[in-house]
Amino acid sequence: MALSWRSWLANEGSKHLFLFFWLSLNVWFFGKTFLLYYQGLQYYYLHQMLGLGLCVSRASASVLNLNCCLVLLPMCRVLLAFLRGSQRVASRKTRRLLDKSKTFHVTCGVTICIFSVLHVAAHLVNALNFSENYNEDFPAINAANYRGEDPRKLLFATVPGLTGVIMVLVLFLMCTASTYAIRVSNYDIFWYTHNLFFVFYILLMLHVSGGVLKYQTNLEEHPPGCFNPNKTLRQNMTMPKAFEELFPDYTTECFPQDLPVPEPFVQNNLMRICSEEPKFQSHFPETWLWISGPLCLYCVERLYRYIRSNKPVTITSVISHPSNVLEVRMVKDDFKARPGQYVILHCPRVSTLESHPFTLTMCPTDTKATFGVHLKVVGDWTERFRDLLLLHSNQDAEILPIFQQRRYPNDDWKCYKLRRLYFVWVCRDVESFRWFADLLCMLHNKLWQENRPDYINIQLYLSQTDGIQKIIGEKYQALNSRLLIGRPRWKLLFDEIAKCNRRKTIGVFCCGPNKISKILHKLSNSSNSYGTRFEYNKESFS
Amino acid sequence: MGQIEWAMWANEQALAAGLIMLTGGIVAVAGQFKGWYFAAYAIVAGVLVCLLEYPRSKRIKGSTMERCGQKYLTAVVKLFGPLTRNYYIRAVLHAALAVPAGFLLSTILGTVCLAIASGIYLLAAVRGEEWRPIEQKPRERPHMGDTIKQPPSNPPPRPPAEARRKQPPEAGGQVNPIPVEAE
Repeated sequence: MALSWRSWLANEGSKHLFLFFWLSLNVWFFGKTFLLYYQGLQYYYLHQMLGLGLCVSRASASVLNLNCCLVLLPMCRVLLAFLRGSQRVASRKTRRLLDKSKTFHVTCGVTICIFSVLHVAAHLVNALNFSENYNEDFPAINAANYRGEDPRKLLFATVPGLTGVIMVLVLFLMCTASTYAIRVSNYDIFWYTHNLFFVFYILLMLHVSGGVLKYQTNLEEHPPGCFNPNKTLRQNMTMPKAFEELFPDYTTECFPQDLPVPEPFVQNNLMRICSEEPKFQSHFPETWLWISGPLCLYCVERLYRYIRSNKPVTITSVISHPSNVLEVRMVKDDFKARPGQYVILHCPRVSTLESHPFTLTMCPTDTKATFGVHLKVVGDWTERFRDLLLLHSNQDAEILPIFQQRRYPNDDWKCYKLRRLYFVWVCRDVESFRWFADLLCMLHNKLWQENRPDYINIQLYLSQTDGIQKIIGEKYQALNSRLLIGRPRWKLLFDEIAKCNRRKTIGVFCCGPNKISKILHKLSNSSNSYGTRFEYNKESFS
Repeated sequence: MGQIEWAMWANEQALAAGLIMLTGGIVAVAGQFKGWYFAAYAIVAGVLVCLLEYPRSKRIKGSTMERCGQKYLTAVVKLFGPLTRNYYIRAVLHAALAVPAGFLLSTILGTVCLAIASGIYLLAAVRGEEWRPIEQKPRERPHMGDTIKQPPSNPPPRPPAEARRKQPPEAGGQVNPIPVEAE
């Protein structure tokens, strides 16, 4: 399948551009901080003591600052939904970019993990160097108390060290519970461990308050590497190499490290004499500025969601469908929703802590306030919920589920001037089609009456068959004739749709397992000979 | 929280911890740090843990995602029988493997992570979980002849099988109690 540049650009272009921008930002921060500590005069003595470990640890810290700030923003779903739905964000491209918020969150998370590893490794080396290269001349700059102090004490008995270690453990727990396999099989573990992020951020704020690394404040009075005639020259005295060449009589033995001589010093070619001892001061914790904004924003959003969810909902009816599916219809005051959005149901009697998302299958309209969801009984929460609704339905108001409404971005179909709708539905069991068989038939009849029979093209596929001819039901003739056995052949389907809609833009909306999604994504990017463009959209909860 | 399979999470943790230990060990050996023999041990222990933890166990309910190429290691791990099946033994093994690496700074993180994994395995063992190998299902060849049992007895036109039976076609059929409206 040849790649179509127009389709690829439409589907992937803005995503990749954004990613490139984010990557450049990271590289820039890393490089800028690295060079600052490598060349900066105020870090001269510190660099001499710690070497490359200082530069790597600080550079990775600045990347971590950026990503810890950015990682929370895609999770402010109420805010994103507001942006997405408002008139200000009119472009479809921006809306589709906002849809990728979860992917961006994962990207930032992975970056945090990788750079944490780098940061920790560099600081371990720093701990060793603080211990071995204890600076007797300028004791203020040291983190160790004496030469040769056990580096493990620096790691575990200082505030930055201890908070750092605990943060790594929290990150380890969060990371191992966030893999795809765990999310798909035991979502609870992922959800509960991920809420440890709050502990992580609190520890982060304590971590940077330690003030271990210091910079020199009096560069004018004491240019680094200057000559102090009052002090006797000891082995670890700082003497740049250029100095040795100029004044061989005054130099001692080896200079521990071949450091780059500060530029202004060499250029002036003067023997600068120190007028006073260097003074050192800790940095202001820059991280507080980075993370306080997003953290507050996210906390406010969680609070808002919690407050809004406290109004209970009334269940008006519960219908049992074949293949273990339950339809629940509810009413709630002041509830508005658009097709494609989902709600999160929370029922304290079933489980105090769990809440689950379900796409709305019926939205409230101006005339009717009822809305509904279909839920399939798969795990323990849905089982208990079904038992509660069906078996104990004579019990009273305690059952009312408290519910949160979220605006999920996939109501994008409004942006497309809908001329035709192709509805492709793949099920394993023929009974499953009954969930919406009535609705589909009714819709088909209505459009037939309005003389628009080709507005909806329904194609139903039965993916697993045991060879016997199946029908959905005698009264669903419109659907029986559109039932095909076997999996859909997507390439042929795409070709046919492209041929019937030449030079148009077609929105592809996929809700299903990853395998189908990958195939459809690839097909949406590939070229066809009719000039049709496919824009790919996906919805997934895991 | 009733049906969480802790062993799956412990498995991810142990695999990650094995890799962390391996990396720390390699760094220490390459840099010839003081006490690098602990690092050499950490490399061996890390590899052992990774090999043991690579094959994922089969879930109690639902299908399990296999790791790429895990069937070869599944065959090996299966050979040890109860030693690898029982999670108490695994918890103790990981705890024991973790201890010596704790003496070197570069592998201490691996120690702590493996210890956490050992703890979660203990929890899984207490809840009665076990390691089960994921067996390869033999591919069923579609039998072409099975559906053709007998030639049809009626001449055409023949109504479908359901109509020929006297009982109602929709046993337990779907009657929507509330009429569906298309808006």
